[in-house]
Amino acid sequence: MTLDDLRAYGADVELGLSRCMGSEELYLMLVGTIPGEEKFAMLETSIAEGNLDTAFEAAHALKGILANLALTPLHEPVYQITEFLRARTRMDYSSLLAEIFSARDRLSALL
Amino acid sequence: MFKSHERFHSANGKRLVLIVDDEFVNRELLRGALQADYELLFAENGQQALDLMREHADALSLVLLDLLMPVMNGFDVLKQAKLDPAISHMPIIVITSDQDAEIESLTLGASDFIPKPYPQPGVMQARVLKTIELTEDRQIISSTERDALTGLYNREYFYRYAEQYDLHHKGSNMDAIVVDINHFHMINERFGTARGDEVLRRIGTALREEVADVEGMVCRREADIFLVYCLHGLDYGKFLKNTTAKVSGGGAGETHVWLRMGVYENVDKELDVVRRFDRAKIAADTVQGSFTTQIGMYDDALHKQELFQEQLIEDFDAAIREHQFQVYYQPKFDIIPDIPVLASAEALVRWNHPTLGMVSPGVFIPLFEKNGLIQGLDTYVWRETASRIRNWLDRFGFAVPVSVNVSRIDMYDPHLVETLLEILAENDLSPHDMNLEVTESAYTQDSEQIITTVNRLRRLGFRIEMDDFGTGYSSLNMISTLPIDALKMDMQFIRTAFNDGGDTKMLEVIIDIAEHLSIPVIAEGVETHEQMLALRDMGCDYVQGYYFSRPVPADEYEKFVIERKEAGTPDLGNVAHPSDFEKHPFGDITSALSSGFESIFYVDTDSDHYVEFSSQGSRDDLQIETSGTNFFGDALRRALGPVYEEDRSRIELSLNKSTLMAQVKGSSPFSMTYRILEAGVLVFYSIEVARARTHDDHHIIVGISNVDAQVAEAEALKRRQERSITYARIAQALAADYLNIYCINAENDHFVEFSPHGSHEGLGVERRGSDFFGFVRESASATAHPDDLAMLLEELTKENVLAKLSREATFNLSYRRMRQGGPTDVRLKATLLEGESGGFIVIGVSEAEGAST
Repeated sequence: MTLDDLRAYGADVELGLSRCMGSEELYLMLVGTIPGEEKFAMLETSIAEGNLDTAFEAAHALKGILANLALTPLHEPVYQITEFLRARTRMDYSSLLAEIFSARDRLSALL
Repeated sequence: MFKSHERFHSANGKRLVLIVDDEFVNRELLRGALQADYELLFAENGQQALDLMREHADALSLVLLDLLMPVMNGFDVLKQAKLDPAISHMPIIVITSDQDAEIESLTLGASDFIPKPYPQPGVMQARVLKTIELTEDRQIISSTERDALTGLYNREYFYRYAEQYDLHHKGSNMDAIVVDINHFHMINERFGTARGDEVLRRIGTALREEVADVEGMVCRREADIFLVYCLHGLDYGKFLKNTTAKVSGGGAGETHVWLRMGVYENVDKELDVVRRFDRAKIAADTVQGSFTTQIGMYDDALHKQELFQEQLIEDFDAAIREHQFQVYYQPKFDIIPDIPVLASAEALVRWNHPTLGMVSPGVFIPLFEKNGLIQGLDTYVWRETASRIRNWLDRFGFAVPVSVNVSRIDMYDPHLVETLLEILAENDLSPHDMNLEVTESAYTQDSEQIITTVNRLRRLGFRIEMDDFGTGYSSLNMISTLPIDALKMDMQFIRTAFNDGGDTKMLEVIIDIAEHLSIPVIAEGVETHEQMLALRDMGCDYVQGYYFSRPVPADEYEKFVIERKEAGTPDLGNVAHPSDFEKHPFGDITSALSSGFESIFYVDTDSDHYVEFSSQGSRDDLQIETSGTNFFGDALRRALGPVYEEDRSRIELSLNKSTLMAQVKGSSPFSMTYRILEAGVLVFYSIEVARARTHDDHHIIVGISNVDAQVAEAEALKRRQERSITYARIAQALAADYLNIYCINAENDHFVEFSPHGSHEGLGVERRGSDFFGFVRESASATAHPDDLAMLLEELTKENVLAKLSREATFNLSYRRMRQGGPTDVRLKATLLEGESGGFIVIGVSEAEGAST
């Protein structure tokens, strides 16, 4: 995975890098932890179980990390789902979830 | 919790910052941004964060706190930190993406926010640094503004805030209140300073709560004195009651405190703030020591008194300048001889004020003691007194010493000794011309410092009289270690003792103590012949009081000096000082006699004229025995007695005039021993020869003593001392009606049995023995009830008694004793005393109260 890969992916690489004091190594290392992040599964499971509190916590945590790393394609659907979950909205989350997982998988493919 | 800048830094010089976030990515981003400037700690949840904050309470400069975390979230961390005084000072920056959370965080005490997603690292670094610096500055200000113990304002800030308050509330009626604790030092002494500190903290908190409704502000002025400035309208009684209740109960244990307060209500705002509280303090002092009133109000009477005192203070300088202060003299008489003789005098100050007339020393002395002017007054009196003594010496060739008062504050003056010596030198006097009276309470309040100063003064030859003895609560043990040359009994004891139905017990105890210390007692306030006689019978040495003379001006007092001079008896006792070689040869003779000489010769070596003195018992009772013109001829030979033949040639060789004069050229006395055959037994004698004065080759003093008798005398003295300490202690320690008192040497089991019949003077020795515990077993077998005997024998072993005493200080035992009428309940009480020659067990056996068969 290179910075260019991430740029092509849609990440705001310059912003992410600046949060890492310009360290490419740190940035790539941190981005590399995202596909394996357990909170994606936690989000999916707790929604399936109807446990919106836990789902919100997972989404909120993911949102923070993704925003900090400026992984825009993944951050945007996570941001949206977080706002629905913050209001504990009972709705069909499957399309949002699908969008999230698709974006995650595209990131995984870069590894 | 106040930190210096240094303490904000970790060992490598960087400040320590705690990062709290459950997300690895976030922690790493923050690490990246901050690790160059800070030492970092990490926590993954709120609980870990609190643990680390407490562990590094003194070192952490900042906490960066995420809000949503497992186990314990950030809000709970904020809440708990706020409640824990150990970490509540720590600045916390909350990191959140949620704007609503910012408001809640603020109210919970967060210092700042960092939003998510994180701003540029530079921004983050700047905010972190700014928060840390703000906090440090505030804590530095706060540490100078607040009293570290109670967190209240310190006095400077308190006064300043009070002024600020007045500025913005010109129309408000305000009260100035002083609150302090009666006998606070007792709390510290009894329970330790930790408890004392806790009490002070509680008072601070309680006062703050109690004055919240009247916009009150509180400070601790010093020690246990608190100041309150508040709107007029408090119910003072309720205020004091509530405060006392809050302080006395609960967690600090059951420390009962007795508060008192002084109120200056509706203060005069023209008056300086400090002065307003001075008034409140004056009011508080009016109820000092009162157990019926706790609240003193600053009223008209106090105001008039204050104005009066102000006038006295204002007039002080002029009074010194214009010699308005007059020194009066009250003679002290030696009452041991049949006809009392003048021994010394006390210098007392009077103020002849140009407009107020004679002002009582009872008014101005306490006032000047309080504000320190007393020091100037004391020096004035010393100077006046010294020049008066010089005047007497010049006119009469004779004077007796005069005691002057040395106030407590003088004892802290590093120049005290120099000042005194300078005044003496100006008048060509030496330290024995002016005795120093130091009040007992000075010794008890800061004994170490005082003792150091007193020792220095004594080494220089000053005699120190402990004034007001009996009012300063010296313990018996303490007294025996104090450097003093005389005890002055407080006037109050004399008054009480000779009142109708009065009791002289206390006087006797004090005289006993003095005897034990081998120092004379001076009684003040003696008014009648009967009192003087009674005191003489008790063993009191000197008397001062209206019976002989009230304090009188110098010219009136002179007649005593002249009388004394004409009486011709050499000036002894109180005047004499062992180190006094320069002026009074008689002083040496007296001290020589007191050290056991049989006869003393004062010899003019130019003419061989001599005077022989002998002492009749008391050291003060010096008598001229004979005088003659040929000392080295017959007198010396007669004095030596029939020297044993083996020693005769040696003695005669050494004691011819020229050899002897060569021997005494140096400053140390010459001495040799010889023997006399008395009733078939060889007895050792000693002859000592010394120059009468350091720079005088024409006069010598020759003393002859019986060495054997001296040794015996020394032993007897030691025994007397031990007995007198025992009497005094028994009287104090075992205040009950005892059937028997035993004093057992803990080392060798030797014992003395006393029977306490009659006065303690008659505390007679009933029995002596060498094996107390053997004696006890024997006598118990004979006298104890058979049912109690086994228990008694088991309890009354030395090991058991000592073991119990070392644990509990007293040992108590009840048993039945068989007497003619049947069994009697008796109680046995034992205590341990440390005597000069080791430990004593003192056991008292008394009839149990309500004893029956």
